[in-house]
Amino acid sequence: MSTLASPTRTFSLEPAVVWAMWRRELLRYARDRSQIFGGFSRTVLWLIILGFGLGASFRDIEGYTYAQYIFPGVITLNILFAALQSAVALVWDREVGLLREVLVSPAPMLSVALGKLLGGASVAVIQGSIPLLFAPLIGVSLSLSSLLLAWGVMALLGLSVTGFGVVLASRMATFEGFGSISNGVIQPLYFLSGSIFPLKGIIGGVGFLDLPDALRRQLELLGIHTIGGGWVVQLPVWLQVLVYANPVTYFLDLLRAVSLRYQQLPMAADLAVVAIAPLLTTLLATLAMSRMRRR
Amino acid sequence: MLIVECHELGRRFGAAVAVEGLSFSVAEGELFAFLGPNGAGKTTTLHMLTTMLEPTSGWARVAGFDVVRQAPAVRESIGVVFQEPALDERLNARENLEIHAVLYGLRGPRLKEAIAQALEWASLAEVAHRPVRTFSGGMKRRLELARALMHTPKILFLDEPTLGLDPQGRRHLWERIATLRGQGLTVFMTTHYLQEAEACDRVGIIDQGHLIALDTPAALKLKVLGKAEGSLEEVFLELTGRKLRDEEARPRDRLLGFARRGGEHTR
Repeated sequence: MSTLASPTRTFSLEPAVVWAMWRRELLRYARDRSQIFGGFSRTVLWLIILGFGLGASFRDIEGYTYAQYIFPGVITLNILFAALQSAVALVWDREVGLLREVLVSPAPMLSVALGKLLGGASVAVIQGSIPLLFAPLIGVSLSLSSLLLAWGVMALLGLSVTGFGVVLASRMATFEGFGSISNGVIQPLYFLSGSIFPLKGIIGGVGFLDLPDALRRQLELLGIHTIGGGWVVQLPVWLQVLVYANPVTYFLDLLRAVSLRYQQLPMAADLAVVAIAPLLTTLLATLAMSRMRRR
Repeated sequence: MLIVECHELGRRFGAAVAVEGLSFSVAEGELFAFLGPNGAGKTTTLHMLTTMLEPTSGWARVAGFDVVRQAPAVRESIGVVFQEPALDERLNARENLEIHAVLYGLRGPRLKEAIAQALEWASLAEVAHRPVRTFSGGMKRRLELARALMHTPKILFLDEPTLGLDPQGRRHLWERIATLRGQGLTVFMTTHYLQEAEACDRVGIIDQGHLIALDTPAALKLKVLGKAEGSLEEVFLELTGRKLRDEEARPRDRLLGFARRGGEHTR
């Protein structure tokens, strides 16, 4: 005795199904202490240990301490981990988990996919919020409005990465560990996003505090531009290409703009990527999940 | 009325033939079993009938609907228990049932009622709040069986339902399946336990992707062994030979192995 009648409902929207799939993701997250622990340990290692460790060598980056500079990067790293972990779970969920039961049910795949994506994005925002708790330690104070804006950017990043991960997972036949995802996807996206080194701007190194004008001009002839107490960052061209080709770069730049009021890229470019990426990945992920039904 | 009809049904994976030229039908209310050695094509057939796999030749109708063109209607009419548990092990029994009810369009009071009934039927009401990962194999199977019945399907598909259960668990589950048959539900199952096949109305023996015999257990004995006594095991070995069936591990098997060892985040 089923209440479902119409035969072609793959793309129909059923709020109850979206809700059930979203809730499942959050319940799974709440019961996985290792994931929550990972969020805290990553934050401590990157933001506190690396932030203050490398920060001892750099006086500042455009007036921000190194820990402050990588603060949005650590948020991004936690989002990348959480979103991809949730997405890649599809690989075994399809074979030994609940997804098989979902695929054989008459539920519309659009609603299932939306629930999955929103669930992955929600977990990503929660994991991404862990570094926010450490903000006072590194001298970052967030107003309510910048906090809300940051959550908005984090949610869109979480949605995009979950969607990208779902497309990736739908093409994986087997899975024997998260290591390949971590090393092959998360770390390249993270390192090539301007998270830990600036794209441009002025870096102040310890010892470059008061460079005499004459010496500065001599350095300029050698191609090293120094301004004030520091020098102008110039990434090698190949590295620039990789960084600018990485969509995460633009999310991170916007996140840095709303949390620190420091932006390295044009606002228009950031907004364009942040608007288009979630729509595109959501669409592709929904199609990928619909195709999972038939092999 | 015929609830399952297949005509020249086949499935290839690249050059490999999994199932070929399958033509048979199952009548409403029958307890029907597919019997065959490992890798014979039992699961492939079940996956095609449950819309999980598209046939590469022939056609099949389940509950009057074409499994390709009317897949959503087929999905609404069937209950399925797969060989590997399709439960979320981090959720409790009630949460697993809730998701199923929502997926099948049950809402409000009917949803609550269906969950209470399923827990009762599976004798799991007392442990409904416990995460499924703490359940024994038998409890999981009972939960899955109860779940597959929640939306009152016209036909129940069971892929090796008693695989991996101890004799007590097997007997218990089998009694429940027998009760369903008493209620007039059609049950289509695959098995390689011969005693189970013995208790079915009709048995299809499948080997290397081909249906090589299909009849009542008694008629099979008479036909193959030329006598009414004897066991289905003799019939089976007579038809399929005594060669050992070794298979290479496919990517899916490697994944299952990884998950069974409790690989990271799979539970």
